[in-house]
Amino acid sequence: MNAYTGCDDMSEIKQQPRPESPTLFRTEQLGFHYPDGTQALLGIDLAIATGERIALVGPNGSGKTTLVRQLCGLNAPTEGTLYYRGKPLSGAHLNAVRLQIGLLFQDPDDQLFGHTLVDDVAFGPCNQGLASPTARELALQTLQRVGLAHLAYKPPHQLSVGQQKRAALAGLLAMNPEVLILDEPTANLDPRQEELFLELLRDFSGTLVCISHDLIFLYELCRRAVVLEKGRIHHDYSMATLVSQREALREHGLDFSFRFSSVPPPATPTSPQSAAAAAAATAAEKPGPEPSPTPLITLRDYHFRYPDGTHALRGIDLSLAEGGRVAVVGENGAGKSTLISCLLGLNQGEGSYHFAGRQVSRQNRGELWRQMGVVFQECADQLFCPTVFEEVAFGLEQAGVPRPKREERVAQALQQVCLDGFEQRVPLHLSGGERKRLALACALVLAPRMLILDEPSAGLDPRGEELLLEILRGAECTLLLVSQDMYVVGELTTRTLVMHQGTLVEDLSTAAFLAEERLAAVNGLAYSYRQRSSDAIRDLQHVHEHRHKHRHLHEHPHRHGELAHSHLHEHEHDHDHRFLHAHEEGEQRHGHTARLLHDHEHPDHEREPHDHGHTTEREP
Amino acid sequence: MTPVVHQLPTAYLLLLPLPFLLFFGLLEALRRWLRRGRARQGERDWSLPALESEPHDSLFSRWDVRCKLLSLLIYAFMIAALQQLSSALLALLISVLALLLARTPLHRALMRFLALGGFMGMFLVVMPFSAPAHPGDTLLVFHGLESFPFNLRGLELAATLLTKGVAIALLSEPLLGSAPLPVTLQGLSRLGVPAMGGQLVLLCHRYSHVFHAEARRLATGMQVRGFRQSTSLPALRAMANFLGMLLVRSFERTERVMDAMRARGYQGRFPETVELKMRPGDLLLSILWLILGIGLLLADRWG
Repeated sequence: MNAYTGCDDMSEIKQQPRPESPTLFRTEQLGFHYPDGTQALLGIDLAIATGERIALVGPNGSGKTTLVRQLCGLNAPTEGTLYYRGKPLSGAHLNAVRLQIGLLFQDPDDQLFGHTLVDDVAFGPCNQGLASPTARELALQTLQRVGLAHLAYKPPHQLSVGQQKRAALAGLLAMNPEVLILDEPTANLDPRQEELFLELLRDFSGTLVCISHDLIFLYELCRRAVVLEKGRIHHDYSMATLVSQREALREHGLDFSFRFSSVPPPATPTSPQSAAAAAAATAAEKPGPEPSPTPLITLRDYHFRYPDGTHALRGIDLSLAEGGRVAVVGENGAGKSTLISCLLGLNQGEGSYHFAGRQVSRQNRGELWRQMGVVFQECADQLFCPTVFEEVAFGLEQAGVPRPKREERVAQALQQVCLDGFEQRVPLHLSGGERKRLALACALVLAPRMLILDEPSAGLDPRGEELLLEILRGAECTLLLVSQDMYVVGELTTRTLVMHQGTLVEDLSTAAFLAEERLAAVNGLAYSYRQRSSDAIRDLQHVHEHRHKHRHLHEHPHRHGELAHSHLHEHEHDHDHRFLHAHEEGEQRHGHTARLLHDHEHPDHEREPHDHGHTTEREP
Repeated sequence: MTPVVHQLPTAYLLLLPLPFLLFFGLLEALRRWLRRGRARQGERDWSLPALESEPHDSLFSRWDVRCKLLSLLIYAFMIAALQQLSSALLALLISVLALLLARTPLHRALMRFLALGGFMGMFLVVMPFSAPAHPGDTLLVFHGLESFPFNLRGLELAATLLTKGVAIALLSEPLLGSAPLPVTLQGLSRLGVPAMGGQLVLLCHRYSHVFHAEARRLATGMQVRGFRQSTSLPALRAMANFLGMLLVRSFERTERVMDAMRARGYQGRFPETVELKMRPGDLLLSILWLILGIGLLLADRWG
């Protein structure tokens, strides 16, 4: 039986009350299978009203992207029917509807195919029939709206990821769409860009469908949540109900509540930053390898300029001890990635750089690479072999490790990252979290003295994130972490370096950094909306014990006079129990009289004497 | 008439590459100076279109793109037909003037010049030694290298080829660099080149940057895991995997780009970004330019 709805058949899920608006999308038993026979969607019955804001969530491979591709007509359903404004979505209707639905792709490079931003943004309006000058005028206005007017004639490949995302959104907003469908809109954005993006989406007045693993972002944006699993709709809740139910979130790999696990009791409002500070304090208490007196890495007055003249690193002085766990934080463009590429010897700057006491130069960087492992943000960029085994074994093969030893070490590495049994799988076909762990295995198999991680948690679902953190906590090497995620920083590191415009502006203990709100704000790392959402979600998720009279559904054997039978029936209780629930907005009083029907554990309830009236038609 | 032969000591052979080395050294120094200058300038104002902005407003940017393409392409063929070094030098002078008038970034033209110079410089080295001796030719014969006479006519021929090549290469800046690529491709399409070809060029240009960045990241990933290029079987297999992965990812990206285009209403035709207008002045400029080319040809043949 489903613990929250009292139903064991998902087709009986009670739909959330819809606003009194006309239905925009309606699917009837919609299904889709790929040409290779993979069933991606099955029996989808969904109605979306005009103006609704829906979060489409579920684990990787649950069919979210396939469903939105159906909604915007990129794939036709292989079973069932999809209606848009009451008409089947096909033929001429589809061509017209495409101009009213905006789909934001996960990778903005896929969407920005224009020569310049203004060309790209004007593409849609031109296809809608606007004359070229009018479309360009509209494009310029929309770029102004997303804060990119100053880059209107710049080619898309010269923009940062955050700017590209906003430009791609501008391309859709310029078409004044009725529906906006977003696929992982916050992937790879820094906090400042994320907040800008959220502001833009808040201002959008049409219907919104958003796919994301980031429930904190979705909580701020959407009011309804549809949970998909294995191509079917498993839940259709209000957003507040979804985030308040940890068991349901865990069941679908969406439980991000571990991020609140170090937080003090709910009576004291806390933020993700304070949660991370608490985590950092915990991390600091954990026994780690003893720091060696000789620094592993030393940079002195290090500068780096790109060929176009950009002064990316300015006078960096840095010393990292062996066994240390260090985070590098800062806004996009602060120089974090450049610092990594210099530490890896890929870029050669001016100044001194020593690794384990030896000067690093272009000639001896091969030796450096034997002692360093790296996991890039886009880990797909470091996977190129046809099987997982070959991928992990590649580094060992290059190092000349004999085959039996190689097989043993590959097996160990895969076990370490929970990918044992994946040896013959194709890396390209793995989920994002699996790929990230595979990239980590490729680095760990070489037993590096130092591991560099660039945004390890970016784009992972909560389950993948939790697993990755668990693995990294156990990694026995020096760790250098570049991340915008303060929770991850707090969990994994004890020292934090803050970068700003190519310089190291602060070098603090992680606990001190996370407690320092001013620094976070200066470096674009403050998540004010995340703090707000997290506080609200934590309030919704709190569990407490109390006594109140309530009604709920049971099925257990019982007796009515001579008649002994079992059936589902509803009756009242009055007893203490732990109650996981949401408080309605504005509810100050901690009472629960309004919630008369809910389910919870009843040990030995079946043996308690009770009676209830029931009608004959309900009897079996 | 027999060829005129001058006997020279072998040591003089060492003096031959000196002018070329000086020439290319000067170019390289100029390129570095330009690059430093560019770095000092910082980023340009991207809120202004390339055509209307003050630094790029020029005779060539105002010239109707169809007239410009036709005139300059025909003119380029005329340059290719020149036979005399003097006329080729005159054509080079005209190209330099055109380049200055077009006000396109000098470093770009210089980069083209360097690339072409490296390739065509080979003619300067090979042709004087390989040109057959004709009556009236001047041959320099170095002591001990009598079988390889240095033919001055061969040098002149190589210099003519080099000059014509550079003149045409420099002309590509006013031709292609004085208007945004989409406008140039739109002009080509109006001149009868299939529109699909232009669209493909445009998409290739946009995604060549993405592809390059992807390939670089993938290569870096291999490098830091110890990969060294060699002809060994494992290295070749790794290279094959690398290329295969690039191909698969490019193919997948192509599909996603196509989907993104369809989702925004693409139905097989890119919208035209600018309205092309031909004025009498454009036609007049084309006629003048072609007259210049014809004059150059006449001077070459009968001057």
